[in-house]
Amino acid sequence: MTQRLLRLVLPVLLFAALVWFWEWAVAYWQVKKFVLPPPSAILAVFQSDGASLLASAGATAKTTFAAFALAAVSGIALAALFASSRLAEAMLSPYAVILQVTPVVAIAPLVVIWVGLDNAWLAVLILAWIVAFFPVLANATAGLKAADPNLRDLFRLYRATPLQTFRRLLVPSSLPYLLAGLKTAGGLALIGAVVAEFAAASGTSGGLAWRILEAGNRLQIAKMFAALILLALMGVLIYAALTFLEWLLLRRWHGEVAR
Amino acid sequence: MPDLRLSHLARTFASGTSALADLTATIPAGAFVSLVGPSGCGKSTTLRLIAGLDAPSAGAIEWDGDRPEIGFVFQEPTLMAWASAARNVALPLELAGLRKGAALERARAALGHVGLAGFENALPRELSGGMKMRVSIARALVAGPAALLMDEPFAALDESTRARLNGDLLRLWSEEKFTVVFVTHSVFESVFLSQRILVLSGRPGRLVADIANPAPYPRDELYRTSPQFNDVARDVLLALKAGER
Ligand SMILES: Nc1ncnc2c1ncn2[C@@H]1O[C@H](COP(=O)(O)OP(=O)(O)O)[C@@H](O)[C@H]1O
Ligand SMILES: [Mg+2]
Repeated sequence: MTQRLLRLVLPVLLFAALVWFWEWAVAYWQVKKFVLPPPSAILAVFQSDGASLLASAGATAKTTFAAFALAAVSGIALAALFASSRLAEAMLSPYAVILQVTPVVAIAPLVVIWVGLDNAWLAVLILAWIVAFFPVLANATAGLKAADPNLRDLFRLYRATPLQTFRRLLVPSSLPYLLAGLKTAGGLALIGAVVAEFAAASGTSGGLAWRILEAGNRLQIAKMFAALILLALMGVLIYAALTFLEWLLLRRWHGEVAR
Repeated sequence: MPDLRLSHLARTFASGTSALADLTATIPAGAFVSLVGPSGCGKSTTLRLIAGLDAPSAGAIEWDGDRPEIGFVFQEPTLMAWASAARNVALPLELAGLRKGAALERARAALGHVGLAGFENALPRELSGGMKMRVSIARALVAGPAALLMDEPFAALDESTRARLNGDLLRLWSEEKFTVVFVTHSVFESVFLSQRILVLSGRPGRLVADIANPAPYPRDELYRTSPQFNDVARDVLLALKAGER
């Protein structure tokens, strides 16, 4: 019990100490505000620009969530197709790999032109989706192949239909893999959204990345920090939510799921 | 219940491995037959052929009449980790289209038969190795199969659990009278359990001996130390030695 309490209290204490040291050091060495603002200045930004920053965070969150949902649905659907047809897998998987290994920043200008400069949000969504899609596809594909071969034989022995085998054997066996893939994809969707906002470099998306660029151009470093903090919080939130989902779905049969 | 005839059964894999060369045997309905032989001599292959999970390269598997319902028990319990003991046992029934409620009811009864009453809702990870194997046996028997194929089912269990399961298996067999083809590489297990022991040579497997064990059932633990037991065990051992190469 005290062990767990310590694990909770110590990071908080360390955080408080670091923030205090930061504030003190900036004042002591008279660091310029546009190099490193003190925590108090960042807090002030939250007070003055909090609402607009949160709106931007909302925009980025929306893109991230939509990209994640798209990646999840399309990744699972394609993996199911691969599992049911080797031909489809042989034909399509090279393209999935090419999409994955091509740096998203390099595709961005092309996508922006394709969807039109007025639709930068759509470009951002597509780019974030491309980034988040692959881990879902790869993990779901691996998961669908991970079923115990003896159990597969048993299903064959009892003349299970393909649908029965899929629902009762392949889907449950693949669940741990799929959830690991979704966890990775959740983080990547956020990264993809931010990178795409940078790359699309347009105010129409109005996301946090754009606010960081804007603040950087005006040397409002405290605002940059505020936006960064919001991004980090979003990342942590996504990870926590997906970890909770994993625990919820796997606790029954995976006693040892990491929390 | 149909007899089972294996005639000149052979299996060569695409890799070129010849697992089974020429196996001919007739297994009468309701018999308890063991298949023993050195590792890699094609015992598992033979069971998969009988179950229809694999096709022979030559020879034939014939049942009198249609291929009957078959139960299969692997060396590993091979349970669905995400499903309770009862759901695992109900699987063959549910796959056959029985509705869930009726299937679960029969699954509970089957679990009771293998001594697992009260563990219906347990997950596989909550059960010991021996209990998981009992679930696996209950699943194989729940649909009332005419033949039970077992591939070294108790090899991974400790001595006393194994002896207990041997006894329980004989009790179930004498109650329900299905045909058993039991693969083991334990000479003593094969002698204790079966009416007949088919001895295979090293790879590719050929039948080197067909040894009858006339000892009556029920066989209790003391039978394991009787002179009759030893006589049969010696015959099997000698046949195994002769089949080595
Ligand atoms: N699907 C397969 N493809 C290729 N070789 C196989 C396959 N299954 C079994 N074998 C080979 O056939 C031989 C007999 O295997 P098996 O029937 O499992 O032996 P046993 O059960 O008697 O130990 C082994 O050498 C094994 O490696
Ligand atoms: Mg084997």
